Amino acid sequence: MRKAIVSAVAVALAMSTAVRAETLRIEGSTTVGPIADAFAEYFKGVYPNLEITVNKNGSGNGATALIEGRCDIAAMSRFMEPQEFSKAVANKVYPVAWTIAMDGVCVVVHPSNPVKTLTSAQVREIYMGKITNWSQVGGSQTPIVVISRDSSSGTYETFETLIMKKQPMAQGVEYVNANPQAQARVRTTPGAIGYVGLGFLEGVKAVPIDGIAPTRQTVANGTYPLSRPLFLFTNGFPKLGSIPFKFVTFYLTEKGQDLIEAKDFVPMTNY
Amino acid sequence: MRNLHVRGQLDRVFTATTALSIVLLTLVLVAILGPMVYRGSSAVFFQGTVEFRKMQKNLFGRGNEQALNAEVAETDQLRRQVYQMIDGFKKGVDVEALSEQVREIYRQFGQELRDKNVPTGQYTKLRELTRRIRDKLETAFHSQDINEIKRAVAEVLKEADNPHLKGTSAEKFFALARQFLQAAGQIDLSKHQEYAAAVQEVEGILFHSDSLPGLLGPRPGEPPAPLTMLRYGATRWDQAQVLLDRFLWVDQWVQEKPGEPLVLKRRPRAELFPESLRPLFAYVEQNADKMLHPRRTIYWQFLIDDNINSHYFGGIGPEILGTMLITVVGMLFVIPLGIISAAYLVECASDGWTMRIIRMGINTLAGVPSIVFGLFGLAFFVLFLFPALGFEPKPCILAASMTLAVLTLPVMIRASEEAIRSVPASYKEGSLALGASRFHTFVAVTFPAALPGILTGVILSLSRIAGETAPILFTGAVSLGAVPHSVFDPTRTLSYGSYDMAVGDRLAMMVPHNQYGMVVTLVLLILILNGAAIVLRTRVFKKLRGH
Repeated sequence: MRKAIVSAVAVALAMSTAVRAETLRIEGSTTVGPIADAFAEYFKGVYPNLEITVNKNGSGNGATALIEGRCDIAAMSRFMEPQEFSKAVANKVYPVAWTIAMDGVCVVVHPSNPVKTLTSAQVREIYMGKITNWSQVGGSQTPIVVISRDSSSGTYETFETLIMKKQPMAQGVEYVNANPQAQARVRTTPGAIGYVGLGFLEGVKAVPIDGIAPTRQTVANGTYPLSRPLFLFTNGFPKLGSIPFKFVTFYLTEKGQDLIEAKDFVPMTNY
Repeated sequence: MRNLHVRGQLDRVFTATTALSIVLLTLVLVAILGPMVYRGSSAVFFQGTVEFRKMQKNLFGRGNEQALNAEVAETDQLRRQVYQMIDGFKKGVDVEALSEQVREIYRQFGQELRDKNVPTGQYTKLRELTRRIRDKLETAFHSQDINEIKRAVAEVLKEADNPHLKGTSAEKFFALARQFLQAAGQIDLSKHQEYAAAVQEVEGILFHSDSLPGLLGPRPGEPPAPLTMLRYGATRWDQAQVLLDRFLWVDQWVQEKPGEPLVLKRRPRAELFPESLRPLFAYVEQNADKMLHPRRTIYWQFLIDDNINSHYFGGIGPEILGTMLITVVGMLFVIPLGIISAAYLVECASDGWTMRIIRMGINTLAGVPSIVFGLFGLAFFVLFLFPALGFEPKPCILAASMTLAVLTLPVMIRASEEAIRSVPASYKEGSLALGASRFHTFVAVTFPAALPGILTGVILSLSRIAGETAPILFTGAVSLGAVPHSVFDPTRTLSYGSYDMAVGDRLAMMVPHNQYGMVVTLVLLILILNGAAIVLRTRVFKKLRGH
């Protein structure tokens, strides 16, 4: 036993002195995470010596990590807030935003729900608890089960800003952790309403908002009321031609846009 | 006498109750672990298709190339019919693609004329002629009147004998026109767009869509899809059956009565298409197994492979390695620190105010939520201690292990303290009476005697360290990254990986076997580590009793 421990320590120390490759650390949003994953896998194939790590702890943590110098790129599903900016500047970090893709936050219901369309005012009133039955908005006589993302997610912030207009949500709203959970909850509950990203529409019905259905086109041109850009943030403008520069501008290439589409997001540009 | 009888009855009831609770506990364990282990084991044992073997060959270089080539040739043979049926149908439906094709022929022909240096007058004449043909064909493609189509195609085909067009790329016009006429005769032309959308969906299910893999995988010769997962069909027979079901049936939610919830109706997908494409559905249904060759597969490499495309393919090798590394490094901190602290608390400390406060502190520490330790680890180890010692302030295995060590120290200290305290005083007194120092007594007498109890503490903290997620969230775990080279690199772990899969990508829902596989591996890993510790404890115990 003692021998084993000694040799384990020796191995660990020997390995720590080995040559280190170039690294790229990405931290942040669970929504942008899949894009970062796909980009990272592609970069790993192109630059075998590059070591990329991706961590998905939420947009807020991504911003903090960038400010504290714990990562090279922060992935965020919302823009940095003023206080985060001032903290960054105080820390001698200068955040530069790269808008890499668009995402639609889709309001979804159970596929058995006969509701054809909702206005953003109706959705707001449902989440405020003023409308409690689907029959009030042209549906069947079914009580509404309201599902929301937890308040630390970027998706929640988008929803709060664009739909709730800073009005508080009702007491009875059920909060879930992530897109897959919200989707699963709505898919299995006939009276449920929730909101998820564009990539999570299987088994649920996306309701048109103000008469506009969430599709790649309506999200790309911003006519769908719940469209939002997704960001990467770097500390300052990365050196031209460096790996971070290539990474944050990869969305401009055809390959990058293909990957964004394959992950069910909407590329910024049409090639 | 009667009293004795009642006591006997009570004893029996007691025995029965305890036995029953054991049975209940076992049943609950089986009910929880059973399905999990069953589904998790399907990550390793399943029916793998030819697509699985292709994927293994291309991505991991495994398998017999010759056998695979033969298998691929055999399955491709049957798939060709599928491609033909769909292409034939699309000839009459996909108007935009046909128009594009015609324009391409027109451009190609123009290039050909320029390459041949045809005189200007002749060039203009032929260009004009082919433009007329092109426009006629496009009118035909967009028309919904079969007579108009026939007329337009007939006019085009009149030029088929034109000697200037013979043997040139312009001949492709006529082939296309004939194919289109044939296909158009078989379908309802007013449903062009509907059919085009329906056939696109079918292609998505059979080959692959923009973002989801299909049943058979991409068609040969197609440019490679952006994501690796889209380059292969269903690699597992269970996945194939789900896709086959989606291919054969359409789910439609229909309103039966106004004001009532919609009702799910399933109808065969074949009904969405005209007669000419219906044989495709029967063909795929009958030949699915011959096109995919499902075969019993043991994918033990699941335990060593890296994953591809957010755990869609591949295994959990780096996660297992990371978990073991974090656990081992963590134990290196916990075991000595825990034993020394316990020894101090029992042997050296006197019972005073300070001791009571320290003890209370340890007890409270044991009840602190694990995420608090995570944040503490980030603030103290990563952001304060590392820069102070001259290291880069980044999450790594060392920081994660130290955080976990802090988390489990109370457990370790309490268990060791109890163990050391329960060593009979006579042991120590004997040793001291022989003239040994207090340190020597502890090392030579008390510690060995307390070892079984201390090992219990080790077992408890080991399971905790291997399974915790929140403390390593900010201190050392990543969801994607290279295999760690040293303790100063961050790592993937089984616990954080399970969490990441559950909240991250939509793909996780498509590969529940990998998700369960990861969780079951974690449970088994802890069981194995615990088993090893228990065996060790038993052996120590036997040795102590002098056997």
